[in-house]
This record gives sequence, structure tokens and C-alpha cells, in this order.
Amino acid sequence: MPKLHLRRFPTVAVLALVLLALSACGGDYPNSTFSHHTELNDGAVFLWDRMMLLGTIVFVVVEVVLVYTIFKFRRREGGPAPRQIQGNAALEITWTVIPALILVFLAVPTVRTIFESQRKAPDGAVQIEVIGHQWWWEFRYPQYGIVTANELYLPIGRTANFSLRTRDVLHSFWIPQMGGKRDLIANKTNYLWFTPKADLTSSAWNGACVEYCGSSHANMRFRAFTVTPAEFDKWVAHQKTAAAGSPAAMPAPDTSTKGAAKVPVKMAGMPGMPGMTATATPAPAPEAWVFPLEKMKAFTLPSTPLPATRFDDALLAAGDPKAGREIVTNVAKAPCLTCHNIKGETQYLNDDQAKGPNLTHFGTRHTFAAGLFRTDARTLALWIKNAPLMKPGSIMPTFGTGEYNALMKQKVTAGGLDDKQIADVVAYLLSLK
Amino acid sequence: MATTTAAPASAPVHDASPGQTGLWSWVTTVDHKRIGVLYLYTALFYLLVGGLEAALIRTQLARPNLSVVSAETYNQLFTMHGTTMVFLVVMPLSAAFFNYLIPLQIGARDVAFPRLNAFSYWVYALGGLFITLPIFFGVAPNGGWFGYAPLSGPTYSGGFNMDFWVLGLQILGISSLAAAFNFITTIINLRAPGMTLMRMPMFTWMSFVVQFLVILAFPVITAALFFLQFDRFFGTNFYQVQAGGDPLLWQHLFWVFGHPEVYILILPAFGLVSEVLPTHSRKPLFGYNVMAYSGIMIGFLGFGVWAHHMFAVGMGPVADSIFSMATMLIGLPTGVKIFNWIATMYGGSLRFPTSMKFAIGLIAMFTIGGISGVMHSSPPSNMQQTDTYFVVAHFHYVLYGGAMMGIFSGIYHYFPKITGRLMNETLGSWQFWLNFIGLNLTFFPMHFSGMLGMPRRIYTYDAGQGWDLFNLMSTAGTYMLVVAGLIFAFNFFRSRKVGALAGNDPWGAPTLEWSIPSPPPDYNFAQIPEVTSRYPMWDLKSPERTAGLEHSHADAAAITEAHAVPIHEETERRTAAELGIPMPFNTIKPFMVALGIIVMFSGMIVLHAGKFPLAMAMMIGGGAFLVGSLYAWLTSPLE
Amino acid sequence: MASAPATASGAHEAHEHTHYTTTGLDNRKIAIWAFIGSECMLFASLISTYLVYKGRSLVGPLPHEAWTSPAGQVFKPILNMPVTTASTFVLLMSSLTMVLALAAVENKGKPGYEGLLGSSKTWLLATALLGAAFLGFQAYEFTSFVHEGLTIRTNLFGTSFFTLTGFHGTHVAVGVLWLMSLLFIDLKRGLGPKDAIIVDISALYWHFVDVVWIAIFTLVYLIK
Repeated sequence: MPKLHLRRFPTVAVLALVLLALSACGGDYPNSTFSHHTELNDGAVFLWDRMMLLGTIVFVVVEVVLVYTIFKFRRREGGPAPRQIQGNAALEITWTVIPALILVFLAVPTVRTIFESQRKAPDGAVQIEVIGHQWWWEFRYPQYGIVTANELYLPIGRTANFSLRTRDVLHSFWIPQMGGKRDLIANKTNYLWFTPKADLTSSAWNGACVEYCGSSHANMRFRAFTVTPAEFDKWVAHQKTAAAGSPAAMPAPDTSTKGAAKVPVKMAGMPGMPGMTATATPAPAPEAWVFPLEKMKAFTLPSTPLPATRFDDALLAAGDPKAGREIVTNVAKAPCLTCHNIKGETQYLNDDQAKGPNLTHFGTRHTFAAGLFRTDARTLALWIKNAPLMKPGSIMPTFGTGEYNALMKQKVTAGGLDDKQIADVVAYLLSLK
Repeated sequence: MATTTAAPASAPVHDASPGQTGLWSWVTTVDHKRIGVLYLYTALFYLLVGGLEAALIRTQLARPNLSVVSAETYNQLFTMHGTTMVFLVVMPLSAAFFNYLIPLQIGARDVAFPRLNAFSYWVYALGGLFITLPIFFGVAPNGGWFGYAPLSGPTYSGGFNMDFWVLGLQILGISSLAAAFNFITTIINLRAPGMTLMRMPMFTWMSFVVQFLVILAFPVITAALFFLQFDRFFGTNFYQVQAGGDPLLWQHLFWVFGHPEVYILILPAFGLVSEVLPTHSRKPLFGYNVMAYSGIMIGFLGFGVWAHHMFAVGMGPVADSIFSMATMLIGLPTGVKIFNWIATMYGGSLRFPTSMKFAIGLIAMFTIGGISGVMHSSPPSNMQQTDTYFVVAHFHYVLYGGAMMGIFSGIYHYFPKITGRLMNETLGSWQFWLNFIGLNLTFFPMHFSGMLGMPRRIYTYDAGQGWDLFNLMSTAGTYMLVVAGLIFAFNFFRSRKVGALAGNDPWGAPTLEWSIPSPPPDYNFAQIPEVTSRYPMWDLKSPERTAGLEHSHADAAAITEAHAVPIHEETERRTAAELGIPMPFNTIKPFMVALGIIVMFSGMIVLHAGKFPLAMAMMIGGGAFLVGSLYAWLTSPLE
Repeated sequence: MASAPATASGAHEAHEHTHYTTTGLDNRKIAIWAFIGSECMLFASLISTYLVYKGRSLVGPLPHEAWTSPAGQVFKPILNMPVTTASTFVLLMSSLTMVLALAAVENKGKPGYEGLLGSSKTWLLATALLGAAFLGFQAYEFTSFVHEGLTIRTNLFGTSFFTLTGFHGTHVAVGVLWLMSLLFIDLKRGLGPKDAIIVDISALYWHFVDVVWIAIFTLVYLIK
């Protein structure tokens, strides 16, 4: 009799849900939104907890009464005819008023938190411009003249004030562990700020685009590093310098980071304004500091599958950065600089025109292609050979001679790069420490 | 099935409309019941399509970094899954019930405009093909069912994909609007004598509210779609960023439509379970007046909460607060409905045929969706939830746990009225439990994957993010739902042939539709009944149960004019001609007008393809065909 | 226009119904009110969009302000108030003649409705002609705007203005065709009191279109 089995289904279902809930509490959830790493998320989690509590009470009451009713009032042979009750005004008022009261307990803290989280960012915040592109992230630190991509450095204990814009369609900026998201909207600048709490250790987090933005929406990720103020200063000092191997490879003037908050927000990256100022007195190059790879937990290291394309490791080992630089910086050989800027090299585009990520310190980034791949020679070689194959819709051209360009729907013949040249380019890019 | 008098399964079921057989009779029918059946079958077909899309989506997401389908295909699948389920499945399934039930429940012989009704159906059926077929050619819409500008505009979606979406939704809008005008008129004007508004069955009440939502919400999306269409085809600047266009204009217009649309989807299901619960509890609906008013209240408030879909766009604290509180407010009338349903059952004499199981399933599951809905209403917390799988979990509890549960309940409840036979209860029970468990297994883990950081609308995700288990569970649950769907299909088609005979009133239900034979004759009521209370069939069959109800007779003049007779059961089957009831002629013209519209809209696609002469020929030809057919329609007599 | 075919059919559909109705009103009368309610939301969306984009155009020409292009070309404020005031007056007058047409049909043959007052043909024709004249004004306005450098693609103002007024113009055009059809029936077999309903619903539609124009004229033309 199937009926007997069916009777047990609800019990099994409830048990399964409880197990599921328990499993969710115990596991390792690197992108959990229930963290307390910022004051922004404290507000969200406080409201969540209250809603969860009230919601659970309502849920349990409703379901218990429902299940009780189902069992208590099942039809019995020869049972009395039910009383024909049309309604009860007092009861109905009661179960309108009680939920209304419950909602008051939600509405009051909600409004308070709305106004708290949306007031102006505190003074002394590090200003970060976030610019969304299909499908990667541009990050600018106007106080320091830094333009970078897909990896975000945030000093612990200092408010990060994001101004969010998009170059094309809508995107949404989100680091789950740091708090709520905010959309990037064309013809509008949005703001979001939070402060990574002082008790955080130096750590890496995942971020993602959460507004559907086309083919590779799923592939528009980024990394955020919360670092100590000292580490942040070292990172800033290095990132400000021109690219390795460039004619201007000398340190930029050291504007004191302590007074940096007073610098106007829009300093670099204005149209027509080159991304560098190279008139300062020479000083010893600051020591490069980046978030150490070995401190990155597994969940921040992408494991995106690679295409089956072959690439000769021996060629990669023999890659020549100098030859690579010749290719990258010479638009007659390869059009790299018609989309990417490299500080210190010839600039064809201002920052607002560049269609691709700024490559100045590409070699210091642990991931590339919007957090999709780890930065290693082989992956990078495959990427240059055929980027659209690895990231659907990417406007990065297919460079490998003989490769099929899915975006242009044709095979690359003339003007492509052979594997030797690609190996050189890879060597150069990785040298951009 | 213990609930009905068993009848030999071989006994013949009378044809609903004698002499009405064959494909041609279906294409030309203007009978609201046959049109309702057409809606039902077509929507169930699209349910299969949308379900398969969901199964593919879930297969792709079963494990991290899979490549079962490409990114592009996935984006088409999730766009079409949403578009299909909203516009081609849930709305038309509701329309099937509107068509079949409203005239029967109010004691009318048909809808106010029978040919317009056929027109609505054909526009829907052909428009559905228009928007569905492209997926077989890889050019299905791919900008999401919400079609956010500027991604949906000409700059970022240059191909045909979003053309099909924009034009397809316009076509479907015509269908919904035409139907809504029809039902509003029907409900206001064709009620039997004594059927006052406050005696209408709750399903008709909720449908009434829905029709107003349709006529007030659809014009807004019509305008928004025109803007997008003009941007795409004529180079206007509505959502063109480079000309200063504001992407938020689209979002506001879309959600001014989109939120009432949510209630357009759920209220008919609320209406259906409000019929099922009293019947199987042997008790009247608890708080009828409050149930009707709360439906109106939900519809009214539904227009004031749209921006809660936009808490992340940066509207500023004041707007966030206002929309937040409006959203919380709408939880109240919804909550009242839940409590009143439980109170209807409380103290009753409950039996649990499949329809009742699904109705209770709706109460239990919609509660979860309702609570997570209130959780969205708080913007600071919403900022962690929006555009994650938590939202996916929420609205699937509302639309699957709510709307679809209610619709399944309605199908099991009304199948005997429509076909004259009962559905199999054992299979029904299996379907219910598989659905119940499958839906929880699919959607409950999504609460977790969402709050643990998984964004929506991603075709793939990386390993090690803490989402693997939840996604695997969701996929397993989806397969369970597919099995449940197959059981339903088997039961549905098998029961049509071999189900036990139902008789007029297999459930002991209180409303007028159960006073006539199953399936009802084409004229519905040989004699229009006079209604003296809210539960006419209980008045007739067990007057002691309605003794406490307010009874009153209709205006004598109205009774005379309508030739109404006291409430009675009709068992005799005679033809309309024998009874001297004038019936509308079958006609192909509404179909032809619908066809003309489709040809015109297809001309727009051809225009985009650059074939100007052909496009002009199609648009002018289609237009001429439309006008000619419309002229023929308007100048030919109805009956 | 998504709903236009729907109503047109709805309007005539139940002509043959002489059955009992709950309210005693003709089905078509209720349907046309529902339709008008729906149309209100359509025009509300169109007008709101126009107002939202007001003053947000990146380039001219502009409705109420002069604009100098980067190349130095000067564009005068583009709205032509005298012409539009005249066309508004014409449309208002058409509502009056519509009232007279309906009265003539309803009271055909009654005392006091002999001669001109009872000539439904005259008033239907007059209404249709006034509507056509309004369309003529609009055609003139559109053409002159295009000559002055404003098309539907030029800027946000052009986009939202042409769309809004174009939709209204389309509604007027549908109304003119509707009136011509009534006139045709009147010429063929004469319209009498029993046909009042079909004139009544067209009149409701016509007055609605007129009222919408008053809103547009106020919000687009008068308010700067």
C-alpha cells in the first residue's frame, strides 16, 4: 500500500530540512553573509537575526496550528456535523494587529539602519572608484593615483568609501563578507562605504558582480584583500610606480599617505589627463608588497577549468620579457595598448577610454580575467592565445595564429602571434611586478 | 476517491458540445469552456517546456565548473524559463480557470464577449510560439525576464534575441488586456439575479481583483516595451545611456508592472484554494468579507511597493524607508488570508483528496515564501539578499509553493467538472508528495546558497565556495519535480479516459458550477438560477448548513427579465436549439485577427534582418489581413 | 496601441446581445470604461516619462529654452504656442460636436431635434473633420520640428515628445476612423435611438482622448 509510505514522507522531509539547517551551521562557508567584519554588515546581520527570530516564531505557530488542525479535524465516520462558523471579527482583528505589531519591531530598526548606513562616509576614508566593465572590475584610488583591476586592497580599520560607476551595462558590487551590495548604474554614481574592523587579520575575500550583465556575468568576479595599514601603505607606494621595464620606471613622488584623505577625490583618471606624473626627483624604488599568495585560502584561488589547447612548457620557460615588451608596447606588432594602459609606456588612451584592465603591475595580481584564472605562465599563454574561448563574450582578441575567434566567428591568420611570441609576452606580463 | 459515488467507468460521458468535434471546431470555438480547455492544454504544454528549461539549468549547476550548456545557452535558458513560467504558464493556467469558471460561478451562459475571448486565446497561443520557437535556433531572448536596460537595448544586445522578447511580450500583453476587459464586464454585468458582489464565490472575487491589476499594470509595461522597441528599431534614446537616458526609468516602469504581476500570478491560486478548503472542510469560508477585502487591499497596495525590487540601486534613504514600510504593510492582508484559511479548516470535518492536499500545501509553503518576503522588505538586510539565490528561493516558494500548488489543487478539484471524470487519487497522492518534497528539496537549500554568497543568474560557479552540497540538492529536487510532473501528465490523460464518473457534484461543493452536469452543456444553465445566499448549492442540498447565513431574494423585475428560476440541479441534457437558447456561432475570425497581429510583429523581426521589402510586405499585409478580418468580425452577427 | 484592436472588437461585439444584464447597462459601456481606465495608465506612463526626462537632454533643440550647439548654431525654443493653442481649441470644439452628435442620435425624431440639431450626420462629420484638422496641425508641427532639427532620435526631449504626442495622435486617428465608420452607417441606414450605445461608447472614447490632450497641452506646452 503506497499510502503507508506516503504518510511517512512529511516526517522524513522535516528531518531532512533540520539536517540541512544543521549542516549549514557547521560547514566552511567562505562567502557567508553572516559575518561581523564591518559595521555595514553588523546592521544587516542585526536585522536578519531579528527577522529570523520573528519569522521563525510566525512560521512555527502557523505550521503547528495547521498540522494540529489537519490531524484534529479529520473526518470521522458518524462524527458530528461541523458548526457552520462564518467568521469572527475579534479573531480576525487579532491576527491583523499582532503581525502589525511584529512589523513595528522590524520597521523601527530598519529605518534607523537605513539612515545610518546611507549617511556620508566618515572623514579620512580611503576613496575608491569602482568602475564596472563587461566583464571585469576597474579599481581606482584617486588619492594615490592608482589604477588597477580585479584585485582590491582595503586597509583594516579605515573606512573604504566606494563610488560606483559603470562603463556599459548595469553591474553590482558585492563582497559578501563585507556587507551589502550596491548597483553600478549608467549615468549615475552610487556610493557605498564600510570599515573593515580593526580586529581583522590580513585576509583575502571573494567579490562578485551580482547584477546580470550579459554572457560572462558569472565570470565577473574579483578579490578583496583586507590588509594592515602598514601593508596597505607599502602596497600603495609600490603600485604608484611606473611599470617595470618602462622608460619611466622610476618612483613617483611620495605623497604622504597620512594626509591623503584631504586630497580631492578626482585626481587621476580624468579625461585627457595622463595616469602618471614623472617630474619628481628620483628616489629609491619602494619595495614591492602584495598580499602573499601562500596566505590566500583555497576558496580565493580560482579553479576554473582550462581549455585543452596545447602549449609547449619549454617555450614558456624560455620566454624573454624584453622581446615581450617589444610586442606589447608596439602597436604595429600587437594592439595591446589600444585597450590597456601601462603606466610609463606610451599612452594612447586616457583611463576613461581604456577598454581593458590597466596592466601596470599585472605581475602583482594573483588572479586575472576578473578573478577567473590564477596568474601563471601557462594559463596566461592560453588566455593570450584565445581569450574568448576561456571567457565567453570577452572582447580580448584571439591572438594565437590558427585559433578560432568565437566572437568574430573566424580563424586568426595574419597578424596573430605564434607560440614563441606569446611566451615572450607572458614573460613580460609576469615581469610587471 | 472514497468521497464519490462510484459509477461504472465504462458509462458514457456526454460530450460537452454535441456536434462540436474535430480540429476545426476547436479553432473556431467561442465557447468559454472550450477556450478554457484550450488555455489549460496550451499552458500545460508550456509548463513542460519551462520545466525542461529548469531541468537543464539545474543540470548545469549540479556541480561547480560544469559545461553541460554554454554560457550563452544558459542565459537563454534562464531568461526563457522565467518568461515562460510567468507569461506562458501561470497566467494562462489562471486564465484557463477564469474562462472555465467565472461564467459558471456567477450563473452566466458565457462571457460578455465570446469572440473577443477566442481572440485572447489565439493571441496567447501564437504569441507563445513567437517567443518560444527562437530557442530552437539559438536566438532566444537572453537578457533576463526583467530585460534590464541598457543590456536589453540595441547597443548591448544587437541580435534578434531581445527583439523576440520585446515583441513577444507586447503580443502577450494584447491577449491579457483583451481578456481582462472581457472578464471585468462579465463579472460586473452577467451575474445571475441575486448573485450580489458579496455573494460571489471567492475565486471569482480574486479573479475580479486580478483583472483590475491587469488593466492597470499591463499598460505600464506596454509603454516601457514600446520605449525599448523604439530604441531597438527606430533609434530613439529612451534607455540610451550616451544620450543621457536613465536605466532606472526602465526599472521603475518594469516593476510598477512587475510587482502587481506577482499578485496577478498568486491571487487566482488563492481563489482556487478558497473554493477547495471550505468544500472539503464542510464549513463555509472563514471571514468571507475579510477575504474579499484583503484581496482588494493586496491589489491596491501592490501598486505601491514596486521599488522594493530596487533597494540596491541607490534611491536614497527616504525612498528606501517608504518602500520598505509599504512592503511590510502588504504582509498584513496576505497574513490574514493564511489565518482565515486555517480557521476555515479549524473545527471542520476534513477529508483529503488530492485537491485538498495541494490546498493545504499552498498554505504551508506560501507561508515560507511570505515570511522570506517580509525579510526582503528591510533594505539593509535586503542588500545582502537581493540578486542572490535567497531571492530565487523566496519567489519559488511563492510561485511554486503558492501559485502552482493552488493551480494543481484547482485542476484536481475541477477536472471532474471539465471532463466528467475524476482523477486517480493514488497517483494524485504520489504526485503531491513528490511535489511537496521535491519543491522543498529544490528551493529550501537555495536559502542557504544565497545567504552563503551565491549570486543569481550565473551559469557556473567555482568549486570550494561552500555551495556545492546545496546546489546538488537543488538539482536532485528538480529531477523529483520532473518525475512528479510526469505522474501528473499520466494521471491527467489516463483519467480523461478511465476515471470514475463524477456526476454533477462529486465533492458536495457550495457554488453554482456544481448544479449543472459534468461536463456542462454548451449553454451552461438551461435555466438561469436565482441566487439567494452565498452558498446556493448548500441551500439546495443541506439547508440546515446555511441557516445562519443571510438570505434574500433578488429584485422581482430582474428575475422576470432573466427568466430565472429557484436554485435547482440540472441533470437533463438537451441541445441549445431544443431549449431555444441562442448560442454564438463558431467563427474563425478572431483567429484570423490574431494571425494578422503575429504576421505584423514578425515583420518587425524581418525588418531587423535588413530585408526591407519583405518586412514591409509582412507588416502591411498582416495589417490589412487584421483590419479585414476585424471588419468581417464586427459586421457579422454573434448568434 | 496594444489594446486598440481589443477594444474596437469589444465595442461592437455584444451588439447582438439583448440579454439580461446585472446592471442594466450594455456590456460595451462597461468594457469601454475599463478600457479607458487602462488607457489612463498608458498615458500616465508616457507623460511621466516625458516629465522625468524634461531638462535632461544633452543637446538641443529644447522645448522652452534656446540652445546653442557646440558649432555655434542657435536653436530657438521649439514649441509653437500659437499653432498648438489653435489645435487645442479645434480638439475641444470636436468634443462639443460629439456631444451634439450623440444627442442627435439619442433624440432622433423627438420634438426640438428637427433640422440641424437632429442631424447626426452633420455632427459626426463635423467631429471627424475637427479631429482630422487636429491631426493636420500635428502633422504640420512634426514636420516643422524636423525641419528645425528635432527628430525622434535627436535627444531625450525629441524621443519622449514625439512618442507621447505621437501616441495621442494615433488615438485621435483611430477615433476619426471610428467616427467615419459611424457616419458611414448613418448614411447607409440612419442611426436612431436604438443605436445610441454605439455612438455613446465612441463619444466616451473621443472625450477621453480630448481630456488626455488637455493634460498633455498643460504639462508639455504650458508649464515651462
